[in-house]
Amino acid sequence: MAAVAATPFRKTETYTDTKRRDDVRGVNIAASCAVADAVRTSLGPRGMDKMISSGDNEVTITNDGATIVSLMALLQPAARMLADVSRSQDAAAGDGTTSVVVLAGSLLRRAQCLIAAGAHPTAVADSLHRLAARAVEVLEGMAIPVELSDRDSLVKSASTALNSKVVSQYSSLLAPLAVDAALSVVDPAHPQLLDLRGIRIVKKLGGTVDDTELVRGLIFDKKASHAAGGPSRIENAKIAVIQFQVSPPKTDIEQSVIVSDYAQMDRILREERNYILGMVKKIKASGCNVLLIQKSILRDAVTDLSLHYLAKAKILVVKDVERDEVEFVTKTLNCLPIANIEHFRQDKLGHADLVEEVSVGDGKIVKITGIKDMGRTATVLVRGSNQLVIDEADRSLHDALCVIRCLVNKRFLIAGGGAPEIEMSMQLAAWAKELHGMESYCIKEFADALEVIPYTLAENAGLSPITVVTELRNRHAKGEKNTGINVRKGQITDILEENVVQPLLVSTSAITLACECVRMILKIDDIVTVR
Amino acid sequence: MERVLKDDAVQEKGERARMASFVGAMAIADLVKTTLGPKGMDKILQSTGRGRTVTVTNDGATILKSLHIDNPAAKVLVDISKVQDDEVGDGTTSVVVLAGELLREAEKLVNMKIHPMTIIAGYRMAAECARNALLQKTMDNGENTDKFRSDLMNIAMTTLSSKILSQDKEYFAELAVDAVLRLKGSTNLESIQILKKPGGSLKDSFLDEGFILDKKIGLGQPKRIENANILVANTAMDTDKVKIYGARVRVDSMSKVADIEAAEKQKMREKVNKIIGHGINCFVNRQLIYNFPEELFADAGILAVEHADFEGIERLALVTGGDIASTFDNPESVKLGHCKLIEEIMIGEDRLIHFSGVAMGQACTIVLRGASEHVLDEAERSLHDALCVLSQTVKDTRVIFGGGWPEMVMAKEVDELARKTPGKKSHAIDAFSRALQAIPTIIADNAGLDSAELISQLRAEHHKENSTAGIDVITGGLGDMQKRGICEAFKVKQAIILSATEAAEMILRVDEIITCAPRRREDRM
Repeated sequence: MAAVAATPFRKTETYTDTKRRDDVRGVNIAASCAVADAVRTSLGPRGMDKMISSGDNEVTITNDGATIVSLMALLQPAARMLADVSRSQDAAAGDGTTSVVVLAGSLLRRAQCLIAAGAHPTAVADSLHRLAARAVEVLEGMAIPVELSDRDSLVKSASTALNSKVVSQYSSLLAPLAVDAALSVVDPAHPQLLDLRGIRIVKKLGGTVDDTELVRGLIFDKKASHAAGGPSRIENAKIAVIQFQVSPPKTDIEQSVIVSDYAQMDRILREERNYILGMVKKIKASGCNVLLIQKSILRDAVTDLSLHYLAKAKILVVKDVERDEVEFVTKTLNCLPIANIEHFRQDKLGHADLVEEVSVGDGKIVKITGIKDMGRTATVLVRGSNQLVIDEADRSLHDALCVIRCLVNKRFLIAGGGAPEIEMSMQLAAWAKELHGMESYCIKEFADALEVIPYTLAENAGLSPITVVTELRNRHAKGEKNTGINVRKGQITDILEENVVQPLLVSTSAITLACECVRMILKIDDIVTVR
Repeated sequence: MERVLKDDAVQEKGERARMASFVGAMAIADLVKTTLGPKGMDKILQSTGRGRTVTVTNDGATILKSLHIDNPAAKVLVDISKVQDDEVGDGTTSVVVLAGELLREAEKLVNMKIHPMTIIAGYRMAAECARNALLQKTMDNGENTDKFRSDLMNIAMTTLSSKILSQDKEYFAELAVDAVLRLKGSTNLESIQILKKPGGSLKDSFLDEGFILDKKIGLGQPKRIENANILVANTAMDTDKVKIYGARVRVDSMSKVADIEAAEKQKMREKVNKIIGHGINCFVNRQLIYNFPEELFADAGILAVEHADFEGIERLALVTGGDIASTFDNPESVKLGHCKLIEEIMIGEDRLIHFSGVAMGQACTIVLRGASEHVLDEAERSLHDALCVLSQTVKDTRVIFGGGWPEMVMAKEVDELARKTPGKKSHAIDAFSRALQAIPTIIADNAGLDSAELISQLRAEHHKENSTAGIDVITGGLGDMQKRGICEAFKVKQAIILSATEAAEMILRVDEIITCAPRRREDRM
């Protein structure tokens, strides 16, 4: 109430605000900066990893920003918004999840100084919006167009994404693999689109990451069911995906069979055998020799008896295929699922050259290769010496795939290694000089804030950040747009020659998302607890 | 004195009671005050419930709806904001702030020993006078389609300028106006579907004619159907079970079990055949469709969609003009829905089913894209406000300027009235005018402008006849509202004045608060 009474007497242009509101904003900014600081050290190829131990003692080792912030159990609402922005970046671009958080943190810190100096938060937020639009223009000016047929460029950008990960030494293997997997999924009808759901990653413990392979076909992380000695290798396979069960009948309504004497029991057993035999015969009659059975919670998919008959009929059986996998499987095999034995017809089967059970590490998998008219899918078998490595390899592969997806969506590449950030910072600072008033002042500050990326890259690589950043500025002022930090050599070079490139979309989405998030946090002046 | 009330009941009387209600109402008004105007701030709403979900909003109704409130007077304010939301959809913050300011002024008057009833009488006269003043200044372009459309655009932009969509307000104003004009005068916003899809940016949002269902088409079924006959149903597609507990069949051989299973399958097949017998080529069910019937539909070349949510099928039935069926014995009595084309489309990375050329021509879908869930939720709320206001404006085409202009016009008239009115009432009328002027003051304060300076300039400007001056928050000075195109719907403003006055009156009348004894839970130990 004091503020209301005092308002008419204030004649300055400063922001009239109550103490509490400044506090809330300060707390929000401090919390967000704490999150940004936590992930800062994992930025770049020489970034460190974090070991996160969750409440139930699950340990994760990663340097993927999105994973780190999502695993940190954040409570403060503003800090959680920062975690959300990292997740959005993951969804939009798949890579640059650490950069976006670090950028947002740096922008927020500058924003706090501006507000302390008397700038109105909405004025700061508005200039940030203009800055984001302009920054995207700068980035687009730097971009190099790329064609999907240019496999080398794609591999280069995938390996940039992989270089910062634990599995970086395998980037020469994983990058081409990711590119091949991604390109095999692109549908010529929708060339702008890459649906990553068409790529399945199967993780199997054992071996090393070196043994990771791309399979043109299908892999089931299961054994073939040959309890009764069925085949484990079938050439010229005719594959059926069935959604019914090869087991004694069961009705939906509760039922019980009443046996009154011994002879009857014998008869029941015989009938059961005949029933199953009948089914197996029908299956055999269609020429099918590989059976993929959908998992059922209502009853056993197969029994020992039916397995026995199927083995006799030389049919390879894979059971417990999850219901949500069925679509992927049928799409790959180019066949239709069969929901009833009566509908078991030859035209619903899929064809493949070879179906075999292979031992991998300590387990066995079923591999289907040489599929006729294969759908646009790909399967990657990831191997590793322990679960943590496999998980990290999986995440890294995901990042690499996302990078390719970005390139499919927006076919431009941009230099990496902090070059775009320095260039943005320089051009925006120059632009700020053309503007007037508060806007100019804000944009000047924020332009400086962008230097956090090269600064952190250098710091994490053990270089002297100040020398590096000033040198970079110097080189960029001379017009060498693509000069960046070459972490491997520990010096500043033309980063394009080193093949450190990333998709344009990663950079543009990082800057726009970071700005959007900061604007949102700045505009908040109160935290209200509600039901 | 004998106790009249139960033990735990609390009674507050006279001054204390009035004090309590003033304080409560003003606290609420102060809470939402900072969200007012184009440079208003946002609030984080942190839920204490499970998941501790976080909402970021500057929509007054949303903030007030979710508050914990123990003060009866504060509840009255929350209620008027809710009513404002339901009736006109916008101005939910303004109404609370105005009521709060009216009470703040009333408190001063009460301290000057003016009887609440006198204040109420003065407020009533002032409100009536303010409304009339505004009524005379309204503009009505209802006859002229082009002008009316630009009016609508202006209103939409004004509404959106205080929201998250402000940066792309022209784009979204266009969207909202197009959607509302399709409705052709009806205020039934149900036929406008808002679909949120994370990813992309707000600019990627678009308006689509027809209806989009966020579901997948069953395996092996056609992905594109022209001239579709749609049957919308809510029926179990697993098995028709006997719903009696403990029902079971007893048999004495395995082959009979097999027979029963076959019979169940047969029953399902008959049901599917009956459904197909309706002459349809698209079947949308609210419940799951199991593998077996799915395959039957696929064989018959029918597009079957399972597990559409309740809202989805109701809306689909509405826009395609069909009924929701649950029995299929009388094909002639079931009304089928129709549409020209059903196809699978991609938004972002998701596949959705698109129904175009639906029977109900005014139906349309707004697909919102945005970086995160927070942004999308807030965008939906903002767009909803704009749509509400626009649909109300289509009905009542009177339009006034915004940006503090209506408040100043009203304040001027109310001032005149105060001068003409003899007696203590004139103090109250005066107070009403001050409360009205508080709204532009707050808008200016929120924007970090010098409110005292601006308001006095604005008042001087309005002393001239037919001034169109208002506060231009963007440039930070006075501006011509006509040139800036800042418009509001008359209906919204009128609702704000009337319900704020009513609420203030109601709270002023209170001279005793009785808090009833809470109902005891019986200990069940």
